Amino acid sequence: DDPALSPAVRKLINEHDLDPGEIQGSGKGGRILKEDVVKHLDEAEAES
Amino acid sequence: MAEQEYDVVVIGGGPAGYVGAIRCAQLGLKTACIDRWQDPEGKERLGGTCLNVGCIPSKALLESSELYEHTQKHLGTHGVRCGEVELDLAGMMARKDRLVNNLTQGIQGLFKANQVEWFKGHGQLQAERQVKFTGHDGKEQTLQAKNVILAPGSFPVELGCGPFDREYIVSSTGALRFEEVPKRLGVIGAGVIGLELGSVWRRLGSEVVMLEAQDRFLSFCDEQVANESLKIMSKQGLDIRLSARVTATKVDKDKGQVSVVYEDENGQHEERFDRLVVCVGRRPATDGLVSGPVELAMDERGTIHVNEHCETTMPGVYAIGDAVRGPMLAHKGSEEGIMVAERIAGMGSSVNYDTIPNVIYTLPEIAWVGRNEQDLKKQGVPYATGVFPFVASGRARAMEDTTGFVKLLAHAETDRILGAHIISSRASELIAECVIALEFGACSEDLARTVFAHPTLSEAVHEAALATLGHPLHIPPKGKRG
Repeated sequence: DDPALSPAVRKLINEHDLDPGEIQGSGKGGRILKEDVVKHLDEAEAES
Repeated sequence: MAEQEYDVVVIGGGPAGYVGAIRCAQLGLKTACIDRWQDPEGKERLGGTCLNVGCIPSKALLESSELYEHTQKHLGTHGVRCGEVELDLAGMMARKDRLVNNLTQGIQGLFKANQVEWFKGHGQLQAERQVKFTGHDGKEQTLQAKNVILAPGSFPVELGCGPFDREYIVSSTGALRFEEVPKRLGVIGAGVIGLELGSVWRRLGSEVVMLEAQDRFLSFCDEQVANESLKIMSKQGLDIRLSARVTATKVDKDKGQVSVVYEDENGQHEERFDRLVVCVGRRPATDGLVSGPVELAMDERGTIHVNEHCETTMPGVYAIGDAVRGPMLAHKGSEEGIMVAERIAGMGSSVNYDTIPNVIYTLPEIAWVGRNEQDLKKQGVPYATGVFPFVASGRARAMEDTTGFVKLLAHAETDRILGAHIISSRASELIAECVIALEFGACSEDLARTVFAHPTLSEAVHEAALATLGHPLHIPPKGKRG
């Protein structure tokens, strides 16, 4: 089954073609929040 | 012919098309919306089927007829006595028409505010993303579009053996406009539309007979909900006959009646009605939508082929709403309109087709989202069930409205909520919290650990979640009843 993602997170992940498995979730039970995706994107940008 | 260029040309101004057009304009796209709807007086109106002859007028009449019946039959229980309750049908219809008028003008206002250009007439897709527009005044014009969104909608299916004559045999549109209450009303098709219209006229005094060809009532609903609802609606006085296949109809103008012949397991029967409503389904309104050498793939019913993002077989041409696959629901079309607009603007939007809520606005209402129990069984998915009846809800008791229940289905191992099914007063509102739960991939424990206001009907959702986990508070847990 797909991991439990909120609608806004799903959209961001689609838009940037990300693998949810590579994003550290800070929500309840390790859930990926929108702010986690934004942080992940910022870090990826900083590295490149 | 003068050519005008647009980023987006939308054909159809119903819930899919007008919402798509507004979203396009919000995103800075130069947008035109072509719509051909005219009311019986010939006035152009946006909003499509939903606003003009669908969702809104039917809900207006459901609400009014419910108040009428409630005042007549149920106020006494509350210790409220009133004199004779009179029906002013013309007044009821006029209110409905005012409402439709206001809302369609509201969309006109929104178009203006967002700078969507409204073209009144027919739109036809031609090659190279050109759209031929023919105004109601006969004038023709070609619009050049970078993107085209087709949202032509749907119309009622006619019965081969009972074509609409717009007087005795009518579609849902005609059934929203009767000038007097039919003494005896026949409804062919006991689906969502048939049940809602049948309920309106039964409450206003019609003797309603519903003929349904299928052997199961509301076969697309959770079985437990469908069974409960058949019991309640039959008790209310809707004469619902299943496995009844209509084979012939005949209008007798002298008697002002229509006779209907149908077959069931006991043979052939004939019934006479003052009016007959045919609600056997709707089909895409794609006739005449394209012309010339365009390769827009459609099936034999006229449904336009699209992928999950509503892209057709033609690059830059999208199709949404009732003319494409999926449930024929206003909110489904609107969400597709938003998705397409956003994708044109370069965003990664999508529609979650697994969490589209469904509502039947009878009383009690029926609402559901996600998967039902018989489907989970068929697919061999292990699940847990939690049911909470409104008879155990303090708020429902105070409202003197305790029919129905909330039923949650959750995965037996992960506890993730797979479906929610509600039959009750205001089920249409209660389902929203279940839709959100499904959207966020919630488990029943998430709902169980959420605070719900007391006393409210929404507590039944909370209790159903607790029941799924095996420890409801206000009913005995499963297996410990009595």
